[in-house]
Amino acid sequence: MKQEFLLGNGAMALGILEAGCQIMTSYPGTPSSEILPEVVRFSKAFNLNTSIEWSINEKVAFDNAFAASISGKRACCCMKMVGLNVAADSFMSAAYIGNIGGLVIISCDDPGPHSSQTEQDSRLMARLGKVPVLDPANPEEAREMIKTAFDLSEEFQVPVMVRPAIRVCHARQNVKYDVLENNLTKADFKREPTRWASTPKFRFLQHKALNKKHIKISEKFNTLKPFNMHTLEKQKHYPFGVVTGGVPSSVVQDMFEEYGRNDIPILKLGAPYPFPEKLADEFMDACDKVLVIEETDTLIEYLLRDKRKTLGRLSGHVPMEGELVPEKIEGVLNKTLSDCELSPLSDHDCGQEAFSLVGGLELPIRKPTLCSGCPHRASFYSIRKALPKALFPSDIGCYTLGSNLGVVDTVLDMGAGITMASGFWNAYIQDDVQKPIVATMGDSTFFHSGTTALINAVYNDSRFILVILDNHITAMTGMQPSITQGDRVDGRKGNAIALETIVKGCGIDYLKVIDPFDTKNMIQTVKDAAKYVNDPEGGIAVIISRHPCVIGFKDTAIPEKIKVKITDECNECGFCHLRFECPSMYSDKETGKTEINEVLCAECGVCLQICPQNAIEKA
Amino acid sequence: MKTINYVLTGLGGQGILFMTKILATAALNKGYNILGAETHGMAQRGGSVVSHLRIGDARSSLIRAGAADFLLSMDESEAYRYLPYLKKGGKLFVNAPFDAFPDKRVAEWLEKNSIEPRAMEASKKAMELGAPRSTNLAMVAFYSAFGYGPLSTDDLRATVDDMSPGQFKETNLRIFDVCYETGRSMV
Repeated sequence: MKQEFLLGNGAMALGILEAGCQIMTSYPGTPSSEILPEVVRFSKAFNLNTSIEWSINEKVAFDNAFAASISGKRACCCMKMVGLNVAADSFMSAAYIGNIGGLVIISCDDPGPHSSQTEQDSRLMARLGKVPVLDPANPEEAREMIKTAFDLSEEFQVPVMVRPAIRVCHARQNVKYDVLENNLTKADFKREPTRWASTPKFRFLQHKALNKKHIKISEKFNTLKPFNMHTLEKQKHYPFGVVTGGVPSSVVQDMFEEYGRNDIPILKLGAPYPFPEKLADEFMDACDKVLVIEETDTLIEYLLRDKRKTLGRLSGHVPMEGELVPEKIEGVLNKTLSDCELSPLSDHDCGQEAFSLVGGLELPIRKPTLCSGCPHRASFYSIRKALPKALFPSDIGCYTLGSNLGVVDTVLDMGAGITMASGFWNAYIQDDVQKPIVATMGDSTFFHSGTTALINAVYNDSRFILVILDNHITAMTGMQPSITQGDRVDGRKGNAIALETIVKGCGIDYLKVIDPFDTKNMIQTVKDAAKYVNDPEGGIAVIISRHPCVIGFKDTAIPEKIKVKITDECNECGFCHLRFECPSMYSDKETGKTEINEVLCAECGVCLQICPQNAIEKA
Repeated sequence: MKTINYVLTGLGGQGILFMTKILATAALNKGYNILGAETHGMAQRGGSVVSHLRIGDARSSLIRAGAADFLLSMDESEAYRYLPYLKKGGKLFVNAPFDAFPDKRVAEWLEKNSIEPRAMEASKKAMELGAPRSTNLAMVAFYSAFGYGPLSTDDLRATVDDMSPGQFKETNLRIFDVCYETGRSMV
């Protein structure tokens, strides 16, 4: 028996392999990104022959897992919650069709949001797709739930979702584990066109069958201990109870224990959908009022039948947005208990006085910024220098931080850097205005969902410059390998695909490849591209701005290190640290002079090219 | 055992995760259960980093405002930012000049909440001893000198010894000992 202080994502990886999962697919995204690499680590440690892939996007990941599952194998695909939007078409269809080998979807939520564009609640996607869902409270429970999810999925032949929130994924817990073994099930797809390729007539029947499965699963969920349970004592009636699930349930249980409040019963719904009606009715019958504390939206609150007894988001007792951090839950409970004329948990102000004191200290605002030596910074500098008046649609990745440099006007979702560019073009050209547009997108995002957008734009004759920021890696989510390098997650070699091939294949005739560290060349390249775009015989111009990520390729990204110093020519304009936003430059508080932080400096030397006073030179 | 709550803070790149691992491993070696929460992704790009660590049998990973027994901060501003997490009578350890900490506006609140601040220039000490990146374990040693909580100096020093890679072991242990002594001189 081994023990590790494991990330929640690591505990889930264990659960996946303990369940005998044979096929694992994913696309990275916070907070889900570490699950798949942990599956790789444990598979290697125990010599398992798990098939593991970073897929090109979430839909592809889902489909690959689904095909394995209908061949009889246990399969799992994981993603962040907005990734499930990308896979939604497959997800909904698969629920109707059903599966053979257990199929588990792990969709990781980001209430806050900490690192996402929405706070959407995957449990509601599960409800929409009629997919059963389990909602873990902490890493250890997530690991157990994944095993239950595989069993349920196989028993009822329906995909099952596990929805860990960020506080499960990025919690750490001591976890014990034993030897893991291979699942030896062989692929054996049995032809059945009315099921696997069903037409609408059969879809109706599949829908009907799915609804029947739900009645059975709901019955099962009534007694699915310890995930679903209440703390009612027999024959006892209570003025007030709490209905909860997922991360908030662990907070409520800890807090009631700490404050000795066993007078308040809890209904914990770790498996909230299909709704365990009987269990919930028992609880509602025994309580005059219940408060629903769930994350992030209102699934349980909608599904509870007696709204007159129910307090929660819809009654205004629980905030409608943001993460339910423990002090917020304490505040909600204190207020609700007082409203119900019961004694509150505590007389704490939940940190309010201290937070307002701290708020008045004017502490430094530490906005995220591109790393020291990041090639994206150099690209953004040159783009802005070449075409300051252009529109700048961009995308999701580290380079979203280009907004700090004034070169990111829009961020919608993965792939929208290009679709927004063609959309802007269409909107302006209708008025006979040739709007200059420079779209930016990373290499991984381009593969994820840029190609369809680019083909569409070429076909419909939109005009803009697309700069593909090719750093050879998916940096923001933790340095996953890029398709352009051909490295696969388990160390095997894949087939590298060159961006140039794809770009040309999308119908692009104008393609330049440059290194952004030479800003003079990049500025000229962007200007030349603008001429091509405006030429009646021209089209979309693509520039691949290629330089490896300085973190992911620490030893090779800057082959020629250049130490720099600031000369007396410096007039403290602040361009280098305020506008160019190099984290290694700062204005010394005492002397007021611009200085270089040598510990942080990546020695890329790009600053030699950007100082308006020419006051930076080689040291 | 009652759950003991640590909030650890600093800036991206200062090694908060390693600091958390030192405390967690020492606790594991003593047979305690541990649960923690850390910052990933966007916030790591030069931002403020916070890690919660709970020793004991907690179910939830986050420490609520007003419930931390200890706040260890590798940066003065970050110490202020996470002050609301300290409970009444909690202990505060900061990487800051001894005589310039805390800010006057904070002193009154600390006193009202019976929180005695302890400051040491951990990064300066680590730098002087040749390992600026070991500020994290300098802070752990400093904290351990006061004898609070379930982990003893011996527990923590042995963990630092175990976890330091070969070429850094000697320097790390020297930093540990020096910073422990600095802490002892303030007890």
